[in-house]
Amino acid sequence: MDKQAQLQTGPEQDPAVEQKIQRLRELFADAPEVGKTALENVLQRLTSDASKTPPPVESAGRVGSRLGKVSELTIIVPFAPGGAERLRAFLRLFGGNLAGADEVGTVHDMRFVFLDNDTRMLFATAYDGDWDAYIDDFATKIPDFLDIIDSAWEGWPGIRSPEAKDYLAKYQVTAEGWYVANDLTVAETRRLERIGQAVEEFLDKVGD
Amino acid sequence: MTPIDRVGGDLPRGRVTVELDDIQATVLRYRPEPYYGTHVMLHVDDARAGREFLRRLTPHVASAADWWQAGEPWIAVAITYSGLVALGVPEGSLQSFPEAFRVGMAARADGLLDHGVNDPKHWEPEFESGLIHIGVSVFSDSEEAWRRTMASARRHYEGRPGLTVLTAQDFGAQPGDLNPLGYKDSIGQPAIEGSGSTPLPGQGPAIKAGEFVLGYPGEAGVPLPAPRPDVLGRNGTFVGLRKYQSRVGAFNRFLQAHARTEQERELLAAKLVGRWRSGAPLTLAPTQDDPALGADPWRNNDFTYAADPHGHRVPLGAHMRRMNPRDTKLALLTDVNIHRIIRRSTTYGAPYDPNAISKQDDEVARGLYFIFISAKAMETMEFLQQEWINNGNFMSLGEERDPNVGLQEDGATFTIPQEPVRRRIHGIESFNVLRGGEYLFIPSIRGLHWLGNLAT
Repeated sequence: MDKQAQLQTGPEQDPAVEQKIQRLRELFADAPEVGKTALENVLQRLTSDASKTPPPVESAGRVGSRLGKVSELTIIVPFAPGGAERLRAFLRLFGGNLAGADEVGTVHDMRFVFLDNDTRMLFATAYDGDWDAYIDDFATKIPDFLDIIDSAWEGWPGIRSPEAKDYLAKYQVTAEGWYVANDLTVAETRRLERIGQAVEEFLDKVGD
Repeated sequence: MTPIDRVGGDLPRGRVTVELDDIQATVLRYRPEPYYGTHVMLHVDDARAGREFLRRLTPHVASAADWWQAGEPWIAVAITYSGLVALGVPEGSLQSFPEAFRVGMAARADGLLDHGVNDPKHWEPEFESGLIHIGVSVFSDSEEAWRRTMASARRHYEGRPGLTVLTAQDFGAQPGDLNPLGYKDSIGQPAIEGSGSTPLPGQGPAIKAGEFVLGYPGEAGVPLPAPRPDVLGRNGTFVGLRKYQSRVGAFNRFLQAHARTEQERELLAAKLVGRWRSGAPLTLAPTQDDPALGADPWRNNDFTYAADPHGHRVPLGAHMRRMNPRDTKLALLTDVNIHRIIRRSTTYGAPYDPNAISKQDDEVARGLYFIFISAKAMETMEFLQQEWINNGNFMSLGEERDPNVGLQEDGATFTIPQEPVRRRIHGIESFNVLRGGEYLFIPSIRGLHWLGNLAT
């Protein structure tokens, strides 16, 4: 690439960024005053931030986004009749804590939020890797736990059904934004924890 | 009778619950030892010519009836999606095939992580998307029978107007049946329920037939989705073919750079795979090769990892342990049984040369057709490529990759657990580079008749 071309694609002249900023300003023209002012205050920083190429958010397979090793999954789904009550009772069995999911090894967190007077549910999780890599494993290793939870949803075909993946994809909504602070898998975090403990033990012994 | 397959005699018999006489022999029959054969790739220019060829060849395609009594050479036929289109298969049937099969292996490069040197843009020309239509393979345990069988197969395609031969690649006939990196291979195969054999020692419990043949319940208790109509789908299965060029120079340079003596080099070579060159597993022969053990199919696979949880014998990242973790405690909830494949890999080209160390040696034509059979071959291969081959997370190995078929990045490592501290080798390279690949459907015998007699 010659110097001229480099200059043209440099941060200041990036036409794509310019265009996006312009679009933002147009949209914020109708925004409440507080939003409009805020945008003007940080416009320069936004332009320069947007010009640096950040690591791209990729697809997590069929639906959802992945940044580095960690992906997001959000499902918004109608409850089956009586589903909310059943699921709430099930979750309360563990005081709302699903520590049993530890063995899955790819799930960072899960949240179950009941919406609209117990007629719909939001399920959100951060997990490692791609969308459907391990779904078949769940179907043979922990099918009953999944079916207890998911049968609260309207029309759930059962995790062993060939339609299960299509069902999940139908109700999954890809996040528009996705931020991950720790680009570490759950397995890596656990390994680092073990290494950290071993180092502390070693230092304790050396320090004695 | 000469020894007929790698167990040197009849396999232990078991109950038959699958329709062996409708399933192609190549799905169940073990690669003979020694082995000779050819893969022929055909392009169908004219649907009628393609169907005529299938009608004539089908009577010679071996079924899996009495598959445990190997010894006869066999012909196998498989068809790509573009092959099904070229043969005039109706649209409704075409659309019933899985998407990854329909678009072909090159188009699935992202899902297979076929990037860098493995990118389809570097593949050999015949693997261009949509070119291969029909694959015909001949397997035999003798050179004479191989040549005779090839001649009878060739009669049906050679010179037939409307049919083009893209390639004909001979394979096997290697001294000692070693693979291009100098190992005995294809030892561990899954045992298949209802196929008529009982598992060999160490083969593990038999896996549900539906994982390997369409039309039967799989491990989840239900049959996998099968192509329609039933006559085409049932007793058929999918095969993936990946042609690798073995970079023997890079492999030997690696061994020389990281081991001082011949003995150390052989131990390092065994640590990469989990088996010595002879096939003897490190679990049973931890310090030196045991060729008698390696050659004995009743013993060479008879082990678990119960006494080796940390990989002091077989490293957690060794090829054999990654491809079949057995009872290893994995970091992720995994059902090992649903990710197994039947392997029919075949070695081609110049034999392994332990003295080849130059960069030119990396390009000497030799390598293997990695051939894997599964009722969901496309899905399984993407899983293996993403999770077990080009990743280390499932074994808590971070980003380490399979030392044999992994695509190594700059500065890649291979960890050998040992006391008092593990050894981590830096700078492992890709020893097998992808030069082409495709997905094919292996129809049942009835399915082949149906295809040959399509009226359009």
